[in-house]
Amino acid sequence: MIKFFRSIPNHVKTAFQSLIRHGAMTFSSVSAVMITLTLLMVFILIAGNISNFTVSIEKSLRIHSTIDGSLNEEGIEELQRRVENLDHVVKVTFSSKDEELENYMSSMDEASKKLYETYEGDGNPLLNAFQIEVDAGENMEVVYQKLQNIEGIQDSDYGGDTANLIVKTMDGLRIGGGIFVAALGVLAVFLISNTIKSAIYSRKSEISIMRNVGATNGYIKFPFMIEGMFIGILGAILPILITCFGYRYLYETMNGIFLIPMFQLQTVEPFIWYVSLILLGTGMIVGVMGSFFAVNKYLKWKR
Amino acid sequence: MENVSKSYKNGVNALKNISLSIDEGEFVYIIGPTGSGKSTLIKLLDGEEIPDEGTVEVAGCNVGRLKHKQVPIYRRNLGIVFQDYRLLPSLTVFENIAFAMECIGEDRMTIRKRVREVLELVSLEDKAKSFPRELSGGQQQRVTIGRAIANHPKVLIADEPTGNLDPEMSKEIMELLEKINEKEKTTIVMVTHDSTIVNNLKKRTIALEEVYIVADIKKGGYLKND
Repeated sequence: MIKFFRSIPNHVKTAFQSLIRHGAMTFSSVSAVMITLTLLMVFILIAGNISNFTVSIEKSLRIHSTIDGSLNEEGIEELQRRVENLDHVVKVTFSSKDEELENYMSSMDEASKKLYETYEGDGNPLLNAFQIEVDAGENMEVVYQKLQNIEGIQDSDYGGDTANLIVKTMDGLRIGGGIFVAALGVLAVFLISNTIKSAIYSRKSEISIMRNVGATNGYIKFPFMIEGMFIGILGAILPILITCFGYRYLYETMNGIFLIPMFQLQTVEPFIWYVSLILLGTGMIVGVMGSFFAVNKYLKWKR
Repeated sequence: MENVSKSYKNGVNALKNISLSIDEGEFVYIIGPTGSGKSTLIKLLDGEEIPDEGTVEVAGCNVGRLKHKQVPIYRRNLGIVFQDYRLLPSLTVFENIAFAMECIGEDRMTIRKRVREVLELVSLEDKAKSFPRELSGGQQQRVTIGRAIANHPKVLIADEPTGNLDPEMSKEIMELLEKINEKEKTTIVMVTHDSTIVNNLKKRTIALEEVYIVADIKKGGYLKND
């Protein structure tokens, strides 16, 4: 064991040496890793943002509940507390009937607005209301059913089937994106480990020579694995740089939204670090594993 | 070696019922025409092949019984010199010799000292930083021998070490091998089909023909084919 630790610096040195001395091979492996990881990066960015879109779309879905007109201010406050205490309810915003009317009118053209302006003030036929935010789209209906049974709530509306459909679509998008990225990740693993395998193939006679002069299997494997790790790291550098600078640039030029304000892009700061970490990790782990399996295979080539 | 037989999957019988014993410090030639099983004998000795029958014992170790991962450790007892050199192409001469010692976990100072010593023995002090491809055949073969003896092996196995070399270089190599045999008290088993070598430097000679041992001549000399 002590011998093993003492030989680590030696192994690292050997790994670097062969990275340099097999320059062409290193270059081709690194480029293959680079291309695969760049592809992976693009899809992670897309999938990450789509899932963010779906979350913000779902958040914009709200239950609109009108409050019984006979309740006084205290009654409304107590009702708000009751609604807030329901499961899945995140936020309840009170909206007075004046605000309701204003809100209603904001989507109209000038002529209709003029018509409705006459209702402002005491003549307002609308009721006070709550805007209720729910933690997830799929819980919309549950909360809606509960609201129906609460006294003081006149009527609730959450878009019904349309809202349900949106929620379902968003869920589908998220799951589909996740599966897609996972599949691409597997593909990346396969591609990278194959490249490394074919690179090591050209050195199988080297491996058998090492055995001939008395190097144990572990002793042979270790530098190859370090080499694979460095190939993974080198290949991850460019995709990471593209992520860091490219995504920030994209975010700033698009002002953080994609076409319409509802599509909020992932904020730059934590997101690029997560993506970079995923890329670096994938590169390293796959590099080490690819080398490990390749060397193992060629070790068995000769006794 | 006792009652060793070996045949290959393609039906070729390489060795049949061979019994052979070589003492410590001996210098032995193994001669015979192509296909007489010389190379198989070497492969059985260094653990590359497993005998079908019988046992191969080298330095108290049953070679045929070794597991795949134990083979390299066993090989630390041997130095092997191949006809095709088998040097690591990406390492310099110095590193090639040092590699054999790094494998068994020698410390750096010992390695440096011993590699210099070995380079001197094979007279390649000035080529330490060259890569194998920059050397002539004879020089490469000397590096191989240097690598083989770096760890003070008990047995040095040489598979046609002069096979690719012209007579003058062959002579150099032979002188070197004899020097090693005398200086380091290493047992040397050398496979060859070069009759001049065997006749010039007389040692115990074992002749193989058609998978059997046909002669074992203690005083040496090449067997006339009759």
